Amino acid sequence: MNATVIIIFLIIVAMTLVITYFAAKRTNTTSDFYTAGGGLTGWQNGMAIAGDYLSAASFLGIAGSIALFGFDGFLFSIGYLVAYLVVLFVVAEPLRNLGKFTLADMINARFDAKKVRGAAALSSITIVIFYMIAQLVGAGALIQLLFGIDYLWAVLLVGIMMTIYVLFGGMTATSWVQIIKAVLLMVGTVILSFLVLQRFDFSILEMFAQVKTATPHGEAFLNPGVRYKIPLDTISLMLALVLGTAGLPHILMRFFTVRDAKTARSSVMWATWIVGIFYVMTIFLGFGAAAFVGSETIISTNAAGNMAAPLLAQALGGDILMSFISAVAFATILAVVAGLVLSGASAFAHDIYGQIIKKGKATERQQMLAARYASVGVAALSILLAIFAQSLNVAFLVSLAFCIAASANLPVIVYTIFWKKFNTTGAMAAIFTGLISALVLVSISPSVMNPEAGAAIITGTPIFPLTNPAIVSIPLGFIGGVVGTLLSKESDVRKYSEVKVRANTGGFRQL
Amino acid sequence: MAKTIAGSKTRAVQVKGKKRGESENGNVVKEAGPNFDAIEASAGFRDLMKKKKAFLIPAITLFLGLYLLFNFVISYTDWLDNPFIGDISWVWVFAFGLFAMTWILVTVYMKRAEKFDEMATKTLKEFNYDKEENR
Repeated sequence: MNATVIIIFLIIVAMTLVITYFAAKRTNTTSDFYTAGGGLTGWQNGMAIAGDYLSAASFLGIAGSIALFGFDGFLFSIGYLVAYLVVLFVVAEPLRNLGKFTLADMINARFDAKKVRGAAALSSITIVIFYMIAQLVGAGALIQLLFGIDYLWAVLLVGIMMTIYVLFGGMTATSWVQIIKAVLLMVGTVILSFLVLQRFDFSILEMFAQVKTATPHGEAFLNPGVRYKIPLDTISLMLALVLGTAGLPHILMRFFTVRDAKTARSSVMWATWIVGIFYVMTIFLGFGAAAFVGSETIISTNAAGNMAAPLLAQALGGDILMSFISAVAFATILAVVAGLVLSGASAFAHDIYGQIIKKGKATERQQMLAARYASVGVAALSILLAIFAQSLNVAFLVSLAFCIAASANLPVIVYTIFWKKFNTTGAMAAIFTGLISALVLVSISPSVMNPEAGAAIITGTPIFPLTNPAIVSIPLGFIGGVVGTLLSKESDVRKYSEVKVRANTGGFRQL
Repeated sequence: MAKTIAGSKTRAVQVKGKKRGESENGNVVKEAGPNFDAIEASAGFRDLMKKKKAFLIPAITLFLGLYLLFNFVISYTDWLDNPFIGDISWVWVFAFGLFAMTWILVTVYMKRAEKFDEMATKTLKEFNYDKEENR
């Protein structure tokens, strides 16, 4: 670690702590804590969504995959971006119009049933924990590489920072950490892209021509099939990505931080531009790394290719640029995990404690205390799990989180808003079939079972052939909802009129 | 902070409780909730839903269809592997097309949604529920 990297690193840490200090003064109620008082503007929230969404896996991982696998490395980005159309067309506005702090609030606008709330909270918590383990394990390994700190200390450092932001500054601190991260990430990526394009005389054709001969894959590098060779597996994964985003609790939570559906909508617009432009630039980063760093060097530093972007920065801009990019990666990690802690805490403290155990009668003080205890609890649990999972291959947990979100959360969201006959039995059935089928299928899939000892968590022949079960579990979630609804006679059509009117007009908001 | 469903502008009752029609000390407020059935059945609301569906159903079919088509084609065939210009193959063109599609659909929807907002506000006003007041 050199002096520059320590200085830039400390500046970022100091900046986020100053934000947390000011945010803490403004965090007095649960509404401040979970939603920053609902006062973010469209562009602020759009940047925060991008900051929440673009994890280190997106920044370092995708740039690295493109450098190593060409087009196939870029493939995920398409799913990650198109997914925002599902968010915009189906989820964002009804969620803002019907909910308060969590997804379960929105579903409960229609079914005033504790079991449905509990089920929704459970699936949210499952998603958050899986996503979090993947982020923290990845973060620990990355920080180890970037700054030369031990894995254990790296996880603890990230863990303590995220706890401070959330515990003291709540959603206000988290949002601004995410906004700053989004700005830093865009600045870093634009600088790197500019330097790469300059080397190719600003000609995209020239860039493609050069990378064609720069990698061991030759021409195949520029076409699909280098990495993903099993068609059904690719399609299943891409399905999880496009439908899962609209069910991710930490993304959904960001729609409660704005005042109305109109602002929720414009935040999605901002997010799609930022996220999309970022993904386009990862092509320049990946191709640049392939051409100017070379796959041998990238793989020898980190087999997964995660160091491609920092190495590219070193090659094009020397130590200073590399330090800056490393610091950006650190900020990226912090912003994502803070958002995750907050969404996990809201499911525990607001849904389970406040609404189910206390039946909505907890005092403001009790709710606030619960929120803070839950934040510390979620953070501590994730840190512990991440420490134990160090040697496990957990990269698949991110796509599993998307898969559960698409299988357990999306069906119930869609039916709640659009299906008149949908009832509590249907809601329970949709959540549990989606959740359980995704979990069971993944636990017998090649991601968990591998005949080669040590390659996956269990040694053995996988029973289910696909690495991501989305193509089976998403339909199951939707079918579960239909079957559950039809098996039960109860229905509350009047309540649906209310939900339909409120979801579509934004009137009669219950705060 | 807390506002529950209340009557129209003049009858608006602000209470802090969670449940509709219940005030802070638990006394039931004798205000009936809004008549959602009537709003749902109104011409204005039905027109709003019709216009929304007329946009959303084709838009969702289009983007999911193109997205799935893309994934099937690149997974099962090599149709797109031929060059478009220089070394850039059609697969990049289609991929960027999906990016462009996303931005275009978002932009178009932003315009449409302004109309939807107007229609919703108008409907709520017809029933004497001013939108701002319910926020």
